[in-house]
Amino acid sequence: MSRALSLLCELTYRCNLQCPYCYNPLALSEYRDELSTQQWCNVLHDAADLGVVQAHFSGGEPTLRRDLAELISAAAREGLYTNLITQGTFLDDALLDRLLDAGLDHIQISIQAPQPDVADRIAGTTVHETKLDALRRVREREVALTLNCVLHRRNHDAVAEIIELAERFGIARLELANVQFYGWAYHNRAALMPTRAQVNRAEEVVAAARERLRGTMEIVYVLPDYFGEFPKPCMNGWANEFMTVTPNGDVLPCPAASAIRDLRFENVRNRSIGEIWESSEAFQRYRGTGWMREPCRSCERREVDWGGCRCQAFLLAGDASATDPACSLSPHHSVVEALREDVQDVEPLARRA
Amino acid sequence: MNAEARPRFGKGVKLRHDRDGGVMLLVPEAALVLNRSAAVALELVDGKRTLHEIIEAVVETFEVEPEEARKDIGGLFDRLADRGFVR
Repeated sequence: MSRALSLLCELTYRCNLQCPYCYNPLALSEYRDELSTQQWCNVLHDAADLGVVQAHFSGGEPTLRRDLAELISAAAREGLYTNLITQGTFLDDALLDRLLDAGLDHIQISIQAPQPDVADRIAGTTVHETKLDALRRVREREVALTLNCVLHRRNHDAVAEIIELAERFGIARLELANVQFYGWAYHNRAALMPTRAQVNRAEEVVAAARERLRGTMEIVYVLPDYFGEFPKPCMNGWANEFMTVTPNGDVLPCPAASAIRDLRFENVRNRSIGEIWESSEAFQRYRGTGWMREPCRSCERREVDWGGCRCQAFLLAGDASATDPACSLSPHHSVVEALREDVQDVEPLARRA
Repeated sequence: MNAEARPRFGKGVKLRHDRDGGVMLLVPEAALVLNRSAAVALELVDGKRTLHEIIEAVVETFEVEPEEARKDIGGLFDRLADRGFVR
C-alpha cells in the first residue's frame, strides 16, 4: 500500500553555482513563476493532512528564498520533520539562527571536492572556503548535519580525502553519492562517468573507513547507476512514498520526472496535493507493479527494485514503461554498457547560466 | 551497547506517533517504521534509564522470554548506535 511519507519542496531553481551534474531540468525558464509563501504553507498543510512526516527543502538553492525560515516554521507547526538541502554559501550566523529558531531538524551541506581548486572548478565559481565556514558554523550549533559530496570522474579519486575532511570537521553523517544521470548530468555524462577502476577503489576505501569509523561516522554510499547488476529501487517505487513539488507548483512522483516528456503533471494551484497523490494520471501510471512488462513482470525482484527508474528507462530506452536499462536483464542494457565505456577526456560543456 | 548504558537519541532523531497509532523513528532523510516492541523500547529512551531497564520493560509489556528480548532489543540498539541514532 503506497503512503506519502516524504515531500521534497523544490523552492526555487535559482542557484549561484553551476555544477555540471545538477539534476534540475535544463529548461529552467519554465519554472520562474514560483509559488508564494502562502501557497507553500498550503502545500505543507495538505501534505501533513495526507500523512507526510518529512519535508525536505531543496532547489536550486533554497536559501535564496527569503521566506525559508517562515516555511520551515510552517512545516514544524504541522508536525513535519524538516530537512534543509543546501550548498551552504549563504549560511551566515544570522540566517542559520533564524532557521534553527524556526525548528529546523537537519541540514545537508554539499561540497564539490576536498581540494579547494578542484571544488571551485566543479562549482564553476569560488565557493569552497565559504562552504567550509558554513560547516564550522553548523558544527558550533546543536543541529544534525550531513556532509554530502556528489562523486564523478573528476573527484572520484579523492574519496579518501573527502572522508578525511569529514573527520576533521567532526561530521557524524557523510553521504557519498555517485552522480545520477539526469538533467545537466545526463548532458555531461561522458565528462562525468567514473571508470570501473575508480568505482572499485572507492568501494574498498569506503568499506575500510566504515569499519574504522563505526559508531562515529555513518557513511552513506550511493552506488553508481551504470555499474551494478540490478537497478536502484528508485524512489522506493513510483508514487509509493515520495513526492516532489517544483518551484512553480507541479507535483511529481520523483524530482527527475519532468524528463518523461509524455507525462503531464498537475499543479497545486489547481488541485490539492492529496488529490494529486491519490488520483492524478502521472502518479497512477507507474504505481505498484501492474504496469510492468517482461522481464519485470515475472521477476522476483519486482517489489525490491520496482523495475528501477522510470526516468532512466525513458532517457535510455525511449519508453518509461520499459525495464530500467541499468538492469542487466533489460533488453536495452547494452546502451548502459556503451555509456559506461564512453569516458571522454572533455571538460563538461553544459552548465546552468 | 552495554546493558548499563543510558541511551539517548542522537541529533536530528525524533520519535513520532502517527495518527493511525503506529510509531516511527524520524532520522535525517528517512522514516523508520517501528514494530510494537521497538516502539515501546524507544519510547523509554531518555538518557536516564539503562538499556537493561528498557529491556525489562519490554519483557513485562509483551510477556516474552528475557533472553529473546535481550537479543531483539539489544540488537536494535546496536544497529541504531552504529548509525548514530542512539548513543
